[in-house]
Amino acid sequence: MENDFERRPSSEEAAASLRGLAADRKALADGVHVPKTLLAALGGVAAWWVAGAAVADPGENYETPTSGWLALVAALVTFHLIRRETGISFRGMGLRGGLVTAGIIVLCLILFSISLGLVSFGARWAVVLTSLSAFGLVTWLAGIAFRSALDQLRR
Amino acid sequence: MSEARFDDLIHAPVRLRICGVLRQVEQMDFAVLRNTLDVSDATLSKHLKTLAEAGYVSLSKAASDSRSDARRLTWITLTAAGRKTFDGHLRALQEIAGDPNPFSPG
Repeated sequence: MENDFERRPSSEEAAASLRGLAADRKALADGVHVPKTLLAALGGVAAWWVAGAAVADPGENYETPTSGWLALVAALVTFHLIRRETGISFRGMGLRGGLVTAGIIVLCLILFSISLGLVSFGARWAVVLTSLSAFGLVTWLAGIAFRSALDQLRR
Repeated sequence: MSEARFDDLIHAPVRLRICGVLRQVEQMDFAVLRNTLDVSDATLSKHLKTLAEAGYVSLSKAASDSRSDARRLTWITLTAAGRKTFDGHLRALQEIAGDPNPFSPG
């Protein structure tokens, strides 16, 4: 049974308490299982969105594919599943994580634009390459962002 | 920045550790907190109840697909009052320890 403290701790006890808190933060970060399958699922969502360019009609009659909204929903569902699997709702990802997340968005836009360009030149098949690139790069970058969030837990 | 203020209720070792871990996250599942602190369900529940009664933490239930029975996931959050009190207590500990910044509350 634990009793409440009713006296102020000594400086040594206070320092030990602070060290204990640091150890708990490290244990928390070290104990989190990296959800690799779900991070790959984010890569899959990016690949699916980029692949949507293959069925687009670049030019004057271009209409934004509705797959963009579906991809957004799929990404949000994946974020929810990551929260459920890790049991943690992160407060933030830190500067590095934020930059990587912004990088993921920019990367997807660039790959989608390249895909549209390839389609306009009649190389619709080449969208497979940009789509695979999106899968690989977004999975990798999502892993970096996740690990950045874990680093934030240690601080 | 919170004013240094020693809080007897938070300073009990397990409760201090609970708040220290929760301070780093938005929300956390009961099982993850229990495993991180390496305490029993009963011990954690008892201290969470004390913290909840003081308004320092809030608990919410969510359905779990992985469980076939009626049990649910319990998400735990350090409330705004809990964060403020914990930060003040932390500063008090830092002052006592003579260490200006061994732990930086987010």
